[in-house]
Amino acid sequence: MFPVLAKYHQSFLIGLQSNLVYRLNFAVRGFFSLFHLAVVYILWGAAFATTPLIGGFDFNQTFTYFVVMLVMQFFVGAFNEDYQISEEIRSGLINQFILKPINYFAYRFSIFVAARLVTGALILIPLVVVLPFLYDHLTLPTEAWRFALVVPAMILSALIQFSIAYCFGMLTFWFLEIQGFVILSMAIESLLGGQMFPLDLLPGWLFRVSQLLPFYYQTYFPTAILTGRIDFAATLQGFGIQVFWVLVLLAVNSILWRRGLRRHTAVGG
Amino acid sequence: MTRYLEIWFASARYSVTRTLMFRFDFFLWAVVELFWMAVNLLLIAVIYEHTDSIAGWSKYEMLLLVGTSLLVQRFLMGFFWSSLFELGRNIKSGAFDFFLAQPGNILFMASTRKLDLDGLLNSFVAMGVVAYSVHRLDLHPSPLDVLLYAAMIGCGLIIHYSILVLTISLTFWLTSAQGVEGSYFTLSEFSRLPSKAFKGVASLLFVWILPVVVVSNAPARVLLHGFEPAWALGLLAATVAWFAVAVFVFHRGLRRYTSASS
Repeated sequence: MFPVLAKYHQSFLIGLQSNLVYRLNFAVRGFFSLFHLAVVYILWGAAFATTPLIGGFDFNQTFTYFVVMLVMQFFVGAFNEDYQISEEIRSGLINQFILKPINYFAYRFSIFVAARLVTGALILIPLVVVLPFLYDHLTLPTEAWRFALVVPAMILSALIQFSIAYCFGMLTFWFLEIQGFVILSMAIESLLGGQMFPLDLLPGWLFRVSQLLPFYYQTYFPTAILTGRIDFAATLQGFGIQVFWVLVLLAVNSILWRRGLRRHTAVGG
Repeated sequence: MTRYLEIWFASARYSVTRTLMFRFDFFLWAVVELFWMAVNLLLIAVIYEHTDSIAGWSKYEMLLLVGTSLLVQRFLMGFFWSSLFELGRNIKSGAFDFFLAQPGNILFMASTRKLDLDGLLNSFVAMGVVAYSVHRLDLHPSPLDVLLYAAMIGCGLIIHYSILVLTISLTFWLTSAQGVEGSYFTLSEFSRLPSKAFKGVASLLFVWILPVVVVSNAPARVLLHGFEPAWALGLLAATVAWFAVAVFVFHRGLRRYTSASS
């Protein structure tokens, strides 16, 4: 249909295969995430012991939030894309892409999509295994629009996640080591992306500031839509800001790529 | 003994020189650790905005617990993390040969090669968190309590070290155990919870079988409630047992080490 898409379709298929090779690693990682859910269960269970509602939600709703958040991370979260890009730049592997009629961002993104399909499917396995224990605690709102709008929100979230990882990868043109930056951003993302606690529990003004930052739209936004933590009007408004951040990050990526290539010395090519 | 102390000081000197060479790296990692600590403290602050007690622990008691857990972790990061992290890589690549050739205890040589000054710097921040909580709780621990607290932090450090050595030793059997270090962080999450919050199977596993809860709860309780023989003995027993297991497993693994193929 679109000949230009054919090449990225191929890289998508290769990405699918190469990620399936590591299925065991991802599955192990999925099982370790269950330990994180255990911590969440124990900590929040103890917090709810003296109060029936926190931020207007009961224990089951809060626990469901963390389960959905976990699934979101495996479906749309960037794992080690920043390191992979960094490694390709450092080792000179990137030179082959400069010489070919292929867009590096699109190539990398097609592999990212393949990887997320694999990890997303794999996190469901440990969750299904423990479902009998979780089942009584899982509760989702039933409005149809939430299930319809969470899909585009997830796609845009994936774009933001990948774009941020791509930005950090691009830093390799300027810095030898990007690990420090990546782990620093992980701390910020885990906080402002809502992985530590639902963001609406923050003091009002801080919550409103967080809504303007891209991290809110990484995982919190789709999770909040699905678990009923934001209403319809706030969701529509959120989409506006989310699209804005996608465009900004794409622009930043393209600038970093062009500036970076000017500094690139093609070592090992 | 003094010879090992000399070796350790030589490593420390080397690490200081290295840090002075890569100043930006030092600064960046110090900020990274500071951020992660802040994230954990914020979680406590946010939960207590909405509730008064977690398993009977008040806000500042909980802060004392989290501060204690972070303190032990900072010491582990500062004294051993880099060396043990590289140990795993070296076993895989064969660069571990270098340590086998050294005239000294292999585990000692391999785990004291590098110190991370950023981790040690941030341990002062963690101490600040503990001191602040003690102040807010209006506690007046006797010098003996403080000494006991310090000794228990030492025990905690040995336990964390042993668990890390155990996970890294898996590399001897699995050849590629990349990511197993991550399991350490997952387990350390449990050490920021009060022991009373664990019930049923969770209590059996995390309080009685794995030492992750006793490591932080025992020292925090010394400052809160003074000397409690049961907790102190429990911690001491866990320290001896886990260290012994770690040394045993490491040496068992060592027998399987065949150097690199090429």
